[in-house]
Amino acid sequence: MNSVTESKFIDVRGKRTQITIGGAGPALLYLHSAGGEVEWTRFHEMLAQYFTVYLPAHPGFGDSRGLENIHSITDYAWHYVDLLDVLGLETVPIVGFSLGGWTGMELAILRPERISKMLLVNSAGIRIPEAPMGELFSDDIEKLKSLLFYDPNSPVIEEAMPLSYEDNRILMWLKAREATARVGWNPYLHNPRLPDHLFRIPCPVRILWGNDDHLLPVATGKFLVDALPNATLEIFEKTGHMLPYEQAERFVEEVRKFLSD
Amino acid sequence: MRFFTFHLMPYNKLPDDFEENYGTAWATVPNSLYDPVYGHELYNRFLDELIYAEEIGFDGVCINEYHQSVYGHLPSPNLMGSILARQTKRVKIAIIGNALPFYDPPTRVAEEFAMIDVISGGRLIAGMHLGGGPEYDSFSMNPTFARSKFQEALDLTVRAWTEAGPFEHYGEHWKLRHVNPWPTPYQKPHPPIWISGEDSKETTALAARRRYSYLGSPYFHKSFLKKNLDMFRKACKKNGYTAHEEQAGWLVPIYVAETDEQAWAEYEKHLFYFIRKLLKGLMVFPPGYSSPKSIARIGMALKQFLANITTREEIEEGGYAMVGSPETVREKMKDYVQDFGVGNVLGLFQIGTLPADLTNKNMTLFAEQVLPYLRKELGEPATDEEISNALATS
Repeated sequence: MNSVTESKFIDVRGKRTQITIGGAGPALLYLHSAGGEVEWTRFHEMLAQYFTVYLPAHPGFGDSRGLENIHSITDYAWHYVDLLDVLGLETVPIVGFSLGGWTGMELAILRPERISKMLLVNSAGIRIPEAPMGELFSDDIEKLKSLLFYDPNSPVIEEAMPLSYEDNRILMWLKAREATARVGWNPYLHNPRLPDHLFRIPCPVRILWGNDDHLLPVATGKFLVDALPNATLEIFEKTGHMLPYEQAERFVEEVRKFLSD
Repeated sequence: MRFFTFHLMPYNKLPDDFEENYGTAWATVPNSLYDPVYGHELYNRFLDELIYAEEIGFDGVCINEYHQSVYGHLPSPNLMGSILARQTKRVKIAIIGNALPFYDPPTRVAEEFAMIDVISGGRLIAGMHLGGGPEYDSFSMNPTFARSKFQEALDLTVRAWTEAGPFEHYGEHWKLRHVNPWPTPYQKPHPPIWISGEDSKETTALAARRRYSYLGSPYFHKSFLKKNLDMFRKACKKNGYTAHEEQAGWLVPIYVAETDEQAWAEYEKHLFYFIRKLLKGLMVFPPGYSSPKSIARIGMALKQFLANITTREEIEEGGYAMVGSPETVREKMKDYVQDFGVGNVLGLFQIGTLPADLTNKNMTLFAEQVLPYLRKELGEPATDEEISNALATS
């Protein structure tokens, strides 16, 4: 059941960009999280059974270059405007997880006509004063485990992040942290101007949220479902921030259902 | 060989349960623990200790900048430096340094350092620093811009000291239409520059390229310190010259008493106050502060960091502190200085809760019984002329 995948580099307005494309069927643009899941993972493979999945690495993540020209989340959004042009994708549905969800919303504000539908999974970008966000930029791995996963002993954690400085994925993880900080250090993981612009996103939006997300509380999802013109919300019980890892089957089924409706 | 007394100005009155109930000595350590009436006494005592260093023959005094911290409650070294400029007559005043990205605009560094240099009659050593990892939390400043801000601020400061104003500066981070600081430095073309801080390849390469002096991270096992100094000297070679010993410094806690046993008996609990309480949370590497490779390298060396050391034996073996009788300390230090190849020793004679009387005795014994021996063995202090010949000053 392995799909055919191809990893390559494309030039996006001077930024050398790593992209993996796999599967068959209609196109789907997957915008990854701060964790930097830019390698083909279990749930990408599952999505590829139904879609042609485009998995680019944001500038600064994986082997994508160009972080020096990224100064804010808006620069990421413009990068994806350019990437859609390079890939020749006129309109496309987006799955955006965490940082990728935030990027997706900013992109949809800039170019609403290019985004047909959007799934937001535990998305960053919004600050709810009454529901404070957790501390992502810690280098305490044990703390991060409990912050990000419903079950801090879950075997899926090993799929998602390095567990020590000796782990050979540590460099990629540190790069991911750096790129995330570039756009999300201050203001912390959000754009204070974003709520005022959400009305500009006309496409259908499906919001998925882990009820036990300690990084980005579920209150954020509840805010978004009201603020976006055309959105619905599905809350996953006993699920943390890393929902696509923790609930891969249900996550993929949600994507399939929403995009084929 | 030059000897400096370095002072962290730590806050030495923390609750007994500090280790258990407070996560860090930095950034978020609650300032309700601070007692300003006691602080009055403490600041003045610490200044007295630095002034005493001049009386007993040290070549210089040294302070640094720390924000929202009990490790050193010293947010403005320039305030302390200007007091020292006025209250001393001979010693170098090494401020190592100003955390450049935290000065906005960075021409403030050019101004304040020039003031201290002028007041002291040309005795300032101008340290330039990236700012500590935890301080990017203290100021919510984006650490992924730390390096480019530091670079721009350093270039601007040196330019402001060497090029007649007014001139325009249009950089990535600052746009200044009229750069024209008053006063300009007493030392020409400008005070000696030391680059201090974390041991990334980026920092050592910069110091080597510009022929500045380099002061690596303290509190690591001697083998890691040596490796970093070697990395710096290699970078100097790459730039086509051999590093002068004046370009390297070694920062180390020192305690001298009448005998080895007495030294440890008097010192141990104060040193461990420092290790267990004050070092907590210092080694934090916010994202982008150093390259991923440098962060990974230091991350793997943390086992060799003083905060993770628990016994006297480990301290002696790793050279984390020089403790003992005058004979012991001078023999040890002679070996270390020769092994490291450094021309500047920055001794921490007060540490943690070490009280005033023991600090005074420690400094006196060092100055009378260790320093003269080391000078004889390792050479007299370099003159200003020798140093400026060794270091590029533009």
